[in-house]
Amino acid sequence: MAAPQPSFNPKKLWKNFHETYHQVIDGEWDIFMPQQTAGLTVADLKETTAQFQKLIGDAKQQGLKVRAIGSSWSLSKAPTTSGWTFNTNRLRGRLKVKATDVDPAYPGTAGQKSGLYLFQCGNTVADVNKALETDAQKRALFTSGAANGQTIVGATQCGTHGSALEFGALHDHIVALHLITTADKHYWIERKSRPVMAKAWVDSLGAKLMRDDDDLFNAVVVSFGSFGVVSAVVLETAPRYLLETRPTQVKLTEDLWKAIGGLDFSVEPFNGDKPYFFQAVINPSSDDVLIMVNYRRDDPGNFQPNYDLISPPKSIGPGFDALSTLGVILDAFKGVIPPFSKLAAKQLFDTTPKTGTPGMIYGYKPPLLHVASGSIAVALPDARKTIETLIQLYKDIGPVPLVLGCRYVRKSPALLAFNRFPMGMMISIDGVDSTTSRAFFAAAPDRVEAAGIAFTQHWGKINSYTPQRVAKAYGANLQKWLDARHKLIPAAADRALFDNDYIKERGLAG
Amino acid sequence: MLKRAIAALAMAATTSGCMQYLVQPPQPSLAGTPQTIEAKSYAGGKVQQPGFISAARCANGEQLARVLVKRNFAQGFVSWITLGMIAPATIEYSCANASEPPMGGGGD
Repeated sequence: MAAPQPSFNPKKLWKNFHETYHQVIDGEWDIFMPQQTAGLTVADLKETTAQFQKLIGDAKQQGLKVRAIGSSWSLSKAPTTSGWTFNTNRLRGRLKVKATDVDPAYPGTAGQKSGLYLFQCGNTVADVNKALETDAQKRALFTSGAANGQTIVGATQCGTHGSALEFGALHDHIVALHLITTADKHYWIERKSRPVMAKAWVDSLGAKLMRDDDDLFNAVVVSFGSFGVVSAVVLETAPRYLLETRPTQVKLTEDLWKAIGGLDFSVEPFNGDKPYFFQAVINPSSDDVLIMVNYRRDDPGNFQPNYDLISPPKSIGPGFDALSTLGVILDAFKGVIPPFSKLAAKQLFDTTPKTGTPGMIYGYKPPLLHVASGSIAVALPDARKTIETLIQLYKDIGPVPLVLGCRYVRKSPALLAFNRFPMGMMISIDGVDSTTSRAFFAAAPDRVEAAGIAFTQHWGKINSYTPQRVAKAYGANLQKWLDARHKLIPAAADRALFDNDYIKERGLAG
Repeated sequence: MLKRAIAALAMAATTSGCMQYLVQPPQPSLAGTPQTIEAKSYAGGKVQQPGFISAARCANGEQLARVLVKRNFAQGFVSWITLGMIAPATIEYSCANASEPPMGGGGD
């Protein structure tokens, strides 16, 4: 059945989900999904493509910029535009890739081949988890960020990651993607080294197949919406499994440094039991460390996931907007920050042991405005030096209402991936949006740089990237990324449609 | 110290809501960005402007995913000074995705 036509909303003020900034826009287009009785089809994808192309053409004619926007989850200004936003939240079609639609040269195993799924851009991480983890599919994501509200394309375009020790980031699930660049061009992009969809299927979509090399795919898969509208992605998935969480509160000892700085799990409290997921949350105001470890349990049988987020009627917790007031109060009364940080760590991180599917463990969270978060990634051998550098910064300018969450992610082939190191430690600096927090975020990259440590920053969180820092972090990959953008969008006027201040300030526009 | 306390309290009062309630289902599925509507309640709710809040952006059978009712300092002050006879508030609503789409493809 035909999709309803896009609907224009003359909204002028766009705010990100956590309301840490706003942007003046020229209006928002709601895009609707065709009514589906038997699931997403190629005809549905073609119809949505035509709608996006019409809007891109209209925007160009009217001299407006455009951006597809998902859940507006980013704390950085990566998704912003001064023109029209395309609200993709309703585009939640999904399909299991048929074996006959897979390219004969697909190098994956039979198990991988049967775990290929296409998701339209508006599916949230929660949607993906729930669609995969059913009894009918019995699949799961290999890794996930802590939150599940981002759209799968929004999250992957900005490099969202988890801390599964043997996997990369969320974008490393993607093996093919559909990209709409202009009013008359759209592409199906894959790696030359990993062909996925049969050419006949791509032809039926009407897209131009691009898989002459790996660089083009590796450029687009993490590109913050700068290449156009990523309309759908194909993911490789894992057989369904459970995670058993074992949170523990410990002190920062020399033994624990072996785990945090070297992933040596022979020490207490792991005692040789290597987890699937590991995160250490350091409170810089004390020597307290919250250890979050999840152990993988395969073959969960008929486990029935329950994703509900329920707030018991008599419970007391921070309100939706609690942090905006707290930020002001903590700026004025720095003495209360250390006890507050201890309390906040308990609110930010679920410390109740539980067992569930990844979609349950990384599930719905109480919504909070005015959170602050920035992440710095370093190679594992630099982990301890980096943490000590940041703790010293905390002592110099603090106290600051922030904690340091140490996560671990393997390298991605994506050209501008945040997970750039063979085994990287991502220090997620999380807390309350306040003046002192912002000062810490601004100073942290300077300190790490001054310590001579190579690092990258999370594109979707608060970051201090400059053109020089991007060039230093990504070397030759930067030029490859720029070349790929010129190859897929040859005309400067078409590239300009998707330019925004965020990529201009980082030397990625034009 | 007193100055800091006054500054903090003043800023807290003026920059944050003086009342806020959020309603959402156990598995929210938002169909877009929040829509904001200014509303006024007169005479203890006997009269409301607009007559009712129409979530007009929820199209094609969509219901509501989230409703936030909030009152900032200025709105709270008006309500206080008029003994509740005029009670302005800001309503933010987000539409819900209509249903869980079926899984397409498969087989073979």
